[in-house]
Amino acid sequence: MRALVVEDDPDLNRQLVAALTEAGFAVDKAMDGEEAYFLGETEPYDIVVLDIGLPKMDGISILEQWRRADKKMPVIILTARDRWSDKVAGMDAGADDYLAKPFHMEELLARVRAQVRRASGHAKSEIECGLLRLDTTTARVAYDGQTIKLTSHEYRLLAYMMHHNGRVVSRTELVEHLYEQDFDRDSNTIEVFIGRLRKKIPGDLIKTVRGLGYRLAQEDDAS
Amino acid sequence: MRPNSLAFRLFATALGWTVLVLPLAGFIIYSMYAQEAFQSFDDKIKTLLSVVQTDSIDHTSTELGTPGDVGEPLFQRLHSGWYWQIKPLDEPTGPRRVSNSLATAELESPFLKWIAPDAADIRWSDGTGPLGQRLRIAEAVERLGDEVTGRRYSIIVAGPIDWPETRVSEFRTKLTMALALAGLGLVAMTLFQVRFGLMPLRAVERGLAQVRAGAAQRLEGHLPIEIEPLQQELNALIQSNQDIVDRARTQVGNLAHALKTPLAVITNEADDDKGPFATKVAEQARVMRDQINLYLDRARMAAQSGTIGKATEVAPLVEPLQRALERIYRDKGVAITVHCPDDAKFQGEKQDLEEMLGNLLDNACKWSKGRVYLSIDAPSASVRAARRRLQIVVEDDGPGLTAEQRTQIGKRGLRLDESKPGTGLGLSIVGDLAQSYRGSMDLAQSAHGGLAVRLDLPAV
Repeated sequence: MRALVVEDDPDLNRQLVAALTEAGFAVDKAMDGEEAYFLGETEPYDIVVLDIGLPKMDGISILEQWRRADKKMPVIILTARDRWSDKVAGMDAGADDYLAKPFHMEELLARVRAQVRRASGHAKSEIECGLLRLDTTTARVAYDGQTIKLTSHEYRLLAYMMHHNGRVVSRTELVEHLYEQDFDRDSNTIEVFIGRLRKKIPGDLIKTVRGLGYRLAQEDDAS
Repeated sequence: MRPNSLAFRLFATALGWTVLVLPLAGFIIYSMYAQEAFQSFDDKIKTLLSVVQTDSIDHTSTELGTPGDVGEPLFQRLHSGWYWQIKPLDEPTGPRRVSNSLATAELESPFLKWIAPDAADIRWSDGTGPLGQRLRIAEAVERLGDEVTGRRYSIIVAGPIDWPETRVSEFRTKLTMALALAGLGLVAMTLFQVRFGLMPLRAVERGLAQVRAGAAQRLEGHLPIEIEPLQQELNALIQSNQDIVDRARTQVGNLAHALKTPLAVITNEADDDKGPFATKVAEQARVMRDQINLYLDRARMAAQSGTIGKATEVAPLVEPLQRALERIYRDKGVAITVHCPDDAKFQGEKQDLEEMLGNLLDNACKWSKGRVYLSIDAPSASVRAARRRLQIVVEDDGPGLTAEQRTQIGKRGLRLDESKPGTGLGLSIVGDLAQSYRGSMDLAQSAHGGLAVRLDLPAV
């Protein structure tokens, strides 16, 4: 899961990045409006946390331009201006949620998870796939009640696949959604992580679809 | 009309002038007329005297003539006040002629009273007639026959002094009445003039009252050129005052909002640490946040207190709020059912109504199981109720509150359920705002199961 944090206050930016990273996201950050617009335009984020008051370009304009360019990723607006007229303007520009400063990080994370789930069509905070269960609130993975310990990259990969279970996920898509922007990407590492996950999770859950990518096994799979 | 007023000054000076000038003018006119009347009386007597004289004295004869018709019938009527008399001066028994009006009575000769003649050789005096009438007497002395040795005769013509006096007194009455009427007219005119002339000032007064009451933003109207500069200066002053307030408001807002980001940083930093120091910091940060919100609201309300009279259409405001909230709560699938008449108008600031509706709807969405109802009514004012009211009811189908909880909830910062996100300020802000518009907020059990919040606000 990739997240973009747009906030011009360096301290708050750092806190947001730290919290989202800890929650299992591959986080990019932007300190001004132009950088934020460029990143949102070019990278496939699963969630964007967007401050309204930014240097160079304000959050509302960025959001409007993204939406005009048909960028559908969930966006949570973060702002000190908490009048309803501001909220309405934010929502009308295409925001999915709105959080007024100051806020508690847990609340932001809860909303981030909710938006990520909603975007991939899951209503509950727990995603199940057969006996495999992902609790998005605590970032815990369990198989048949047994907790499975995962590294952060393994978690990211599995969480992405669980959010998008039921469809084939290509290797490129995985690379795009698992690493930060400036990470040295190598699609071969994906195969390494898939291999490790297959070892840790019983029941041959991760299927390879030749030439296309991977998908999680469904209950009606014949095997 | 108060003594210290322009109207009084103008009126008093005009009145003073009238009181001074009218009697003076009256007196002058009266004097001239009286003089004229007495003069023409004397002239008439003089003319008559010359007629009588010509008729009676003929220097070519020593015989005294008898004046016939001298052109004044009153000489014929007994004791009419008009008399003539011709009588020798030096001997009391000489031939004597008198007008019929005089009969046997006799007029005093001014000559014998040592009265000097005037330029026309006529002696004038005031005397009394047969019935005690006051008379104006004119006398000419003439010798009959030879101009040096002839017998001297006193020729007298007298007229009643009452005669010019009556005319003068009649004139005086008429003049007094006319001048009094003119005076009254002048006073009335002055009064009107003052009222009419000062009308623009009243307009300024009314305009300023409206500005102060918030019904107007500036002094409107086309004023006379004398006070147009005043109007311009006042408008400039009002504008600059407005600008100062706006700037101060913006600065307060900017300060408050600028504080929120560092506060967010502090809060998050403290949340990560479970030590006593961090707990204290977190607690104080929360206090700071509440204070900022409190004073932001206060600043807003203080700024709004001068803007009563503004009207906000309700319907165009509800729709975006509904859209935004349904989007915010779309995971829950909250549907907001709105009933709002198109012509409903709130008497107050748009932002304030938006804040109240937003907070109430947000609260309702938060607790509801999927249905939220917003109903707005602006019943036509009954004859007795002077003002229209806006009745807003927000209901949800959530768990609702017990009667006890409902009495507690208005308190600022109180949250009945800490598990749901929020600051606990929502409802108390709504209550404060409603109160600042002399409205009210009360809570009840909704027929839909949850809480019903009723707002009563001024409408237009």
